[in-house]
Amino acid sequence: MLILLRGREIPDLHKLAVYQANGGYEALKQAVAMQPGEVIDEVKASNLRGRGGAGFPTGVKWSFIPQNEPVKYVAVNADESETGTFKDREIMEDNPHQLIEGALICAWAIQATAVYIYLRGEFWDIAEQMDRCIGEAEAAGFAGENILGSGWSCPVHTHLGAGAYICGEESAMLSSLEGVLGQPRVRPPFPAQKGGGLYREATVVNNVETLANVPWIIENGAEAFRNIGTEQSAGTKVFCVSGHVPRPGNYELPLGTPFRELLVEHAGCDPDNIKGILPSGGSGPLVPGTDEVLDTPLSYEAMQALGTILGSASIIVMDNSVDMTWVASKVTKFFKHESCGKCTPCREGTYWLDKVLDRILAGEGRPEDVQLIDNVAKNMAGTTLCALGDFAANPIIHTISNFPDDFNAHVQPKPAEEEPAARPVRAGRRRRASA
Amino acid sequence: MAETVTIVVNDQEYQVPAGANLVDAARSIGDHIPVFCYHPKMDPVGMCRMCLVEMGSIQRDRATGEVMLDEDGVPQVRWFPTLQTACTANVYEGLVIRTDTEQVDQARENVLEFLLTSHPLDCPICDKGGECPLQNLTMEHGPGQTRMVFMDKLKLDKHVPLGDLIFLDEERCIQCARCVRFQDEIVGDDVLAFHERGRSLQIITNSDPGFDSYFSGNTTDICPVGALTTADFRFGARPWELTDVPSIDPWDAAGSNISLGTRLDRDTGGRAIIKRVMPRQNEYVNEIWISDKARFGHHFTRSEDRLAWPMTGEARATWAEGLQDAADRLRAAGEDVAIIAGSGLSNEDIYALRQLADGLGSARLGAWPPTHAGADLVARVGVGQGTNLGQLGPGDAVLVIAADLEEEVPLWRLRIKQAGDRGVLLVVANSRGTRLDNFACRQLRYPTGGAAHFLANLSEENEHIYGRLRDADNLVIVAGAEGLDLAGSRALMQAAANILIETGHVGRPNNGLLAPLPGPNAMGLHYLGFTPENTLDIMARPPQTLLVAQADLLADDPSAPDWLGRVDNLVELTLFQDTSGGRARVSLPIQSFAERDGSFTSGERRVQRFYRAQGPVGEATPAWQAVMKIGEALGQARAKSSAAAVMLELSQQVAAFAGCRYRELAWTERQDPPIGEDLWYGGTVLHNRGGLGVQIPTEADSTAVQAAAPELPALPQAANGRLLVLPVTRLYNRERAFRPSDVVASRVPSPHALLNPADARRLNVVAGDTVEIEVDGGPAVQVQARLDDGMPAGSLALPRHLTTTAMPLKPTAAVVSRIPIPSEGRVAEHDA
Repeated sequence: MLILLRGREIPDLHKLAVYQANGGYEALKQAVAMQPGEVIDEVKASNLRGRGGAGFPTGVKWSFIPQNEPVKYVAVNADESETGTFKDREIMEDNPHQLIEGALICAWAIQATAVYIYLRGEFWDIAEQMDRCIGEAEAAGFAGENILGSGWSCPVHTHLGAGAYICGEESAMLSSLEGVLGQPRVRPPFPAQKGGGLYREATVVNNVETLANVPWIIENGAEAFRNIGTEQSAGTKVFCVSGHVPRPGNYELPLGTPFRELLVEHAGCDPDNIKGILPSGGSGPLVPGTDEVLDTPLSYEAMQALGTILGSASIIVMDNSVDMTWVASKVTKFFKHESCGKCTPCREGTYWLDKVLDRILAGEGRPEDVQLIDNVAKNMAGTTLCALGDFAANPIIHTISNFPDDFNAHVQPKPAEEEPAARPVRAGRRRRASA
Repeated sequence: MAETVTIVVNDQEYQVPAGANLVDAARSIGDHIPVFCYHPKMDPVGMCRMCLVEMGSIQRDRATGEVMLDEDGVPQVRWFPTLQTACTANVYEGLVIRTDTEQVDQARENVLEFLLTSHPLDCPICDKGGECPLQNLTMEHGPGQTRMVFMDKLKLDKHVPLGDLIFLDEERCIQCARCVRFQDEIVGDDVLAFHERGRSLQIITNSDPGFDSYFSGNTTDICPVGALTTADFRFGARPWELTDVPSIDPWDAAGSNISLGTRLDRDTGGRAIIKRVMPRQNEYVNEIWISDKARFGHHFTRSEDRLAWPMTGEARATWAEGLQDAADRLRAAGEDVAIIAGSGLSNEDIYALRQLADGLGSARLGAWPPTHAGADLVARVGVGQGTNLGQLGPGDAVLVIAADLEEEVPLWRLRIKQAGDRGVLLVVANSRGTRLDNFACRQLRYPTGGAAHFLANLSEENEHIYGRLRDADNLVIVAGAEGLDLAGSRALMQAAANILIETGHVGRPNNGLLAPLPGPNAMGLHYLGFTPENTLDIMARPPQTLLVAQADLLADDPSAPDWLGRVDNLVELTLFQDTSGGRARVSLPIQSFAERDGSFTSGERRVQRFYRAQGPVGEATPAWQAVMKIGEALGQARAKSSAAAVMLELSQQVAAFAGCRYRELAWTERQDPPIGEDLWYGGTVLHNRGGLGVQIPTEADSTAVQAAAPELPALPQAANGRLLVLPVTRLYNRERAFRPSDVVASRVPSPHALLNPADARRLNVVAGDTVEIEVDGGPAVQVQARLDDGMPAGSLALPRHLTTTAMPLKPTAAVVSRIPIPSEGRVAEHDA
C-alpha cells in the first residue's frame, strides 16, 4: 500500500483539484477542528518516527514546543542531500500537497506562525512547483491568512539552499535559512526550545517524508498507522535503492521488510553478488552482503542491532567487482568536500584521510597507512558538534573492518625501500626525488 | 556570596558559582581545561573541540529526588557516551567531569594532531611564537611526532591585509572564529566573516575599507595563533624580547589600561622604544580591550617633530637659561600671569603648575581645550565609587546625550553597547545620527545646540522616557558637549545632574554622571582648580605672561592667533617644536607619557599610574619637574626628585587625592575572569602588574547633594541662509600628537563636512563637492561635502583636526558655498 508515493497510482496528483478529489486537505480540516494538543497526541500515538535519518519520535518532538511562545515555526527539511537519497524529491514532485498539508497540520499542532520549506539549491524546479502549489492552497483557504476560517494564519514559504550538504543538518539549516553561514549550532538549546530554533524561536524541524505521513495518520488514525511496520518502527518507508541493482528506484514498503525482499524481490539483485551495502548513503556504517544481513528487517531497531543505521534508507548496493578502498576514498572525498569546517577533527580529519587514501590508491601507500586511516577515523568519531564527523569516519572504519584485504592489497610492503616511520622528512624527500 | 553548586571534578567535590561556564569553573579550582575557540568574554561555540572531557550527572531518584547510590554506597553517575565539550556546558548541581583520564588525554592529543596537520611550522618567524596558545598546548598535550607525512604542505596566502591595520596569515589560522565573534558580539562591527567551508574556511572582511572598526587590534590579542598581526608590530620584535611597561591610554577619558612593550632597538641607537601597545586587564575600566587609537597612536613619543631642548625665541638654550628666562618673564608680570594646562598633563604636572600659580599669586588657571564644562559636577555626582559599566544589566538604563562616543571615547561606546546587549535600556539623544544609535533602544532628537533645553524638559516633554530612566535600578547619564558652547555644556551637565539627583541615582555604584571630557586627564585639571571657564576669561583678557603647558592652542582655536597676539610673554612647555607658531619667548621640552612616571585621573575619576617605558627625547624633562624648577628659580620650594614624591605631597595636600600614593595606585587584585600567566586569553600580556588605580569618591558618595536650576543659554542660530556649523570629533584625525602615527594615516578621513541632503540641494552641492565654510569671525576652510541623512536640516557637522586649520570651538553660523570645479565629472545626484 502506498501512503507517500500515491502519485504513482493517481496521475496529476500535484494538482490541487486532483489531490482534493482524492481526499486531499480533509485531514487538515479534521485537524483544525481538533485541539492542537489532540493532534500532537494522535501523532505521538502513531509512533511516527523522523524519516530524515535520526528516527526521533515526531509527536514527542512537537510536544517539546513551549505552548505560550507567541512566535513558533515549522521548518521543513527538504535539503535531501545524503548520497543515494531521492525520496523527498519524488514526494515533492508527484505529491506536493500532501507535504504542504502535513506541514500545516504540524503548524496547527504547535500553533506556528509560519512554515518554511528549505530545499536544496538544485531543487529549484521543485521549488517553483511548490510555490505554485502553496499559491493554490492559499487561494483555496488551506494556507496563509485565516486558514479554513479558523482565525489562525500561517504562511508557507520556500527557501533554496546554496549547495551545501551540511545544511541538511537541522541547526545548520536554520542558520542558512536565517541567511548566515550554514554551520551547525551548539545544542542545547535545541531547535524546539526558545533560543535554539529559527531566529531563536521555538521551531519544529521535520523531514519531508515525515510530514507527508501526517495527513494519513490524522485521517486513518494512529492505530491504523501503528499496524503497519514493526512495533518500534511504524508505517511505511520509502527506500531509495541504487548502485549495482537491475531495478533501482524508490520503493515504499512497510518498515521491517527484510533486505532480501527489497533487494532481491523488488530491485532484482543477485543475492550472491552483493559485496557490501551502504544502508544509509555515505553516512551510515557499511554492511557486507551476507545472509545474516540480507535477512535483517529494515527497521530502526534491527538495523541498530546490526551495528548500522536505517538513516534515510538510501540503500547503495555494491557487487563483488567493487574495491572497498575505492569506496572509502570516494565517500571520503564527498565528506571532505562537504565538511563545513567548524569542528577541528572533521575539517582536518577528512582532508588527512583523503590524502592518505589517494596515496594508497596510487600504490604509494605504506603498510601502516591502513591502520593510520583507521585510527584517524576513530579519532574523529564522536568528537564533533554534528554527526558529519561520524558520517565521515564510518566509511573508513567499516570498510576496513569488513574488507581488510581490499586495503592490504594496495599496500604490499616493499621492504628494500621502506623508511622508518619515525623519519618522515627523509621519507618525503625520497618520494620527491623519485617523482 | 553568590549561589554555589557542587560539582565533582576528578572524583573530588568542589563548590563553584552556580551557572558558571564549566571551563571557567574548572579553572577557578585549578583544573585548566585547554581551549582555543572558547573565550570567557564571548558566547561559547564549541568549534575547536579542544576542551573535550568526560561528563556525566549524579543520578537522582525521580520520585524522591534522593541521590541514587550503587552497591558500595557511591553516588551513581550517568555518563555521556562520548566526550563532551566543557566550554558549552554550564555547571549545575551534581555535574561530574573527568579531565585526567587517558581518554581525555588522547582526545586532546588528537585535536592538536588534527590542528597541526594544517598549521605551518613557522614558529621561528611567527610573531606569536613565545606567547602562542597553540605552541603551549602542543607542548603540554600534543603529539611528539607527526603522522601527517606529506611534502606538499598547505600553501595559502600569508600576508592578506584585512584592512590597513591587520594582516591575516591564512596558513596559521585555525578557524576558531574568535576574531569574527569579537567583532560581532563585543564590538557590534560585524565586518569579519568566514568564507568558503571545510578546510577552505577563511577569514574575510566584508567592509570597505577593509576591517573597518576602531577595535580591530584586539583581534590580534585574542587570536590563539599568529594568524592576525598588526601592521604596527608584525615582524617588529619577538615577544620574549619585550619589556612590558604598565601605562594608560593617553587619548581619552576612559583611561584604558595598556602595556607598552618596549625593546632596546637598533632604530633608536640601542635605546628602548615602544614596539607595541597591548591592553592590560582592568575589569572596571577597559576589561581587556583597547581602541586602535590607543594601540597605534603611540608614535608621537618618538617623533622627529618633538622639541628636544629648551629654546629661547629662535635659539637653542640650556635648561638653566630656559628656566631663568621663564622665571624672569613670570616674575616681571607680577600677578598678571595665567596658566593654560592641557588635559594630557599628568596629575603631578598639574599639581606643580598649581603650586607655581599659587606662589605667583595668580588664580587664573585655565583648562584646555575649553569645550566641555561641568567636571565639577562629575566630581559631585559622577558614577559612584566601585562603578563597573560591565555590571549594568536588565533593569538598568544608560542615557547618552550630545556625545558621539564612538569617536570621542570608543571604549565607553564598546562597553555601553555591550550593556545594551545585556538588557540595559540604552537611550541615545543627539541632534544628529551617531554610531551609538545602532545599538540604542531609543534614539531621541533635538535641534542643534538644544541638548540642555531638551534634557531640562525631559520630564515634561518625554514623560515616558523620563519615567523609564527614573524607574531604572541603576542609571548612568553620559553627557557630552556636542553642539554646545561652554555655557550650554554647563547647563546640560547641570540638567543631567539634576535628573540623577531627583531620581536618586547618585552616590552609589553604577549610577551617576559621566562626561567624555577631552583628553586623558580633564578630571585631574578639575581637581587642581583648572577650569575651561577660566580659559575663556584668559582668552578674553590675555595676561602679560601666559604659561601654556601641553596645549595646542593654535590647532584647536581659530581665534588663538588674535588673542595670543595680545600676550606679551608666552612661555610654553611643549612636546612639539611648532606649537606656538614662533610666538613663544621660551619653549621648554617636556616628556610624553611614555617617558616618565605619572598618573591620570580618568572620566570615571579613577587615578591610574603610568610608568616610564622609554628614555626621553633629547633633553626633555617631565613637565612637573620643569615647572618646579621654574618655581625654584622664583624662590619657591625646591623641586621634588620624583613623580612619586610629587604624588605623595599631592595626596597630602589635595583631599581628592587622599589615598592615591603610588603604592596604593599600584595595588592589584585577582580579577574575574582570571588571566593568570598561562595565556588564557591567547598570547598576550594582559596581566595587570601596574595597578588598578584608585577611584576618587564623589561628593554624593558621602553627602546629600542638591539639584540646581540650569542656566539655559539661548540656542545657537543661523539666519539668512547660513548654516550652523557643528564642530564634531573624529577619533582618527590630524592633531599634532596623532599625525606621527603613519600606520593609521590611511584611515584618517579627508577633511570633510556632513550636510543634510536637503541643505545640499539648496546649496547646489552634491557629495564629493568642495565647499567653502566661512565661519563668523574665523578663517574660511575648504572641505569635501559628504551627505548624511542623520544630519538635521540647517546644520553642518565639521570634524575638528582633519586639517591643520583650527575649526570653531563652539557652534557658529557660517556661510557655506560650493567651490565650482572646472571638470565635467560632477554627478548630478544628491545621494552619495
